[in-house]
Amino acid sequence: MAEDAKEILINYIKENENKFYRIAYSYTGQRDAALDVVQEAIIKALENIEKLRRREFIRTWFYRILINEALTYLKKNKKYVSLEYENIDDENFENFENLSTSSIDIYKSIQKLNDKIRMIIILRYFENLKIEEIAQITKLNVNTVKSRLYKGLKEIKISIEGRK
Amino acid sequence: MKDLKKAKNVYESIKIPEELNSTVNETINRKYVGKKSSFWKRRNIISGVLTTCLAMSFLFVFLVNTNKSFAVSVSTIPVVNQIAKLVTVQNLIEEDDTKLVKANIPAIQNTGNTDLEKRINYEIMEKMNEVLEEANKRAKEYKDAVIETGGTEEDYHPILINIDYEMKYSGDDLVSFLINKCETLASAYTEQFIYNVDLETGKELNLRDVLGDNYKQIIDNEVYKQIEERKKNSDNIYFEKGEGGFEGIEDEYQNFYINENRKVVVVFYKYEIAPGYMGIQEFEIPNDILV
Repeated sequence: MAEDAKEILINYIKENENKFYRIAYSYTGQRDAALDVVQEAIIKALENIEKLRRREFIRTWFYRILINEALTYLKKNKKYVSLEYENIDDENFENFENLSTSSIDIYKSIQKLNDKIRMIIILRYFENLKIEEIAQITKLNVNTVKSRLYKGLKEIKISIEGRK
Repeated sequence: MKDLKKAKNVYESIKIPEELNSTVNETINRKYVGKKSSFWKRRNIISGVLTTCLAMSFLFVFLVNTNKSFAVSVSTIPVVNQIAKLVTVQNLIEEDDTKLVKANIPAIQNTGNTDLEKRINYEIMEKMNEVLEEANKRAKEYKDAVIETGGTEEDYHPILINIDYEMKYSGDDLVSFLINKCETLASAYTEQFIYNVDLETGKELNLRDVLGDNYKQIIDNEVYKQIEERKKNSDNIYFEKGEGGFEGIEDEYQNFYINENRKVVVVFYKYEIAPGYMGIQEFEIPNDILV
């Protein structure tokens, strides 16, 4: 049973590693840091798999660990990390030349949101999670998730319009 | 929202590093297969920002219950300091191409019970030798792993191993102290060696001995209460129940020491109940101890 859960977790991790990396990267804005965050999250998940009681929660459970790791990283390195300096260039992005300036601007304005709101926007719009799932991951109630989401959207809108 | 679709395009263009797959597989394999070896290879961190010290500490707690009648009789002579103390018996600095070890290994003195002093000091020394030996082995394995995977000598940064001690409580009947081991770039496994020794009887003291049969209820209530209190500050994050969070102590052998107020302090290691940045979590239990 326990081994079984471990197998499921390992398969889940292997199938979704790119996703995890993108989340971690969009959080840390640094390649090496993102790799570290993913690695730490995997270690923690493997160490705590016995504590996952219900398998259908594996996704929200893992996301939570991953996001905790990312937040931990940001907290620890706050004085060094500034997303302002994040390079949106062909080194870190595929098909960089095909990305429109406006889409990069919107992406940047999301990166400037505060960590908690940014997380919700990323999960909702980039990872297509349901509000209920985000509530589970963040341990917030659905209404708080919604209100942070709207707050985030509003701020993005303001910052895009301010640029026009 | 159309704008967010555009941003999603950017998000999905985030380049996946070539080594992601091998890092993931390696981590899983080390962690999964090598569970007993308590070792896994960490990515070679080059960026200076990322010198995360994976400080894994463990502690030894000796509760030294000295012979009370003796202690009382000498304490009436004020000039004699009969309070047990710790002295460094082995000050070790070892350096080679795999590691840098700094170890202050303590011994206990002045307890008024030389036989048990000897036994405890011997135990500490034994344990510390074992710990150092393991750390040396790990450092070597780690270096080999770096070289094997194509790293050069320059890629390898020696592992730092630091052992030190701290007196927590020293009275005329009771002593509590801990030994910390910090290893940078090491395993995620926390090793714990706890000795609660009653010097008089030679019995190891546990939480039941110091807090009575209700120890679990007392501690669980207190820890839950204090976690809630600390969570009021949004900087403090604890794992939730079912996700590795605190769900009550398992038994009377939970880690603890006695602090300067003669109170039990329950200790949880890094990652045990909270994310890593929260560090070691300690909870003082207000109840009077029974020893």
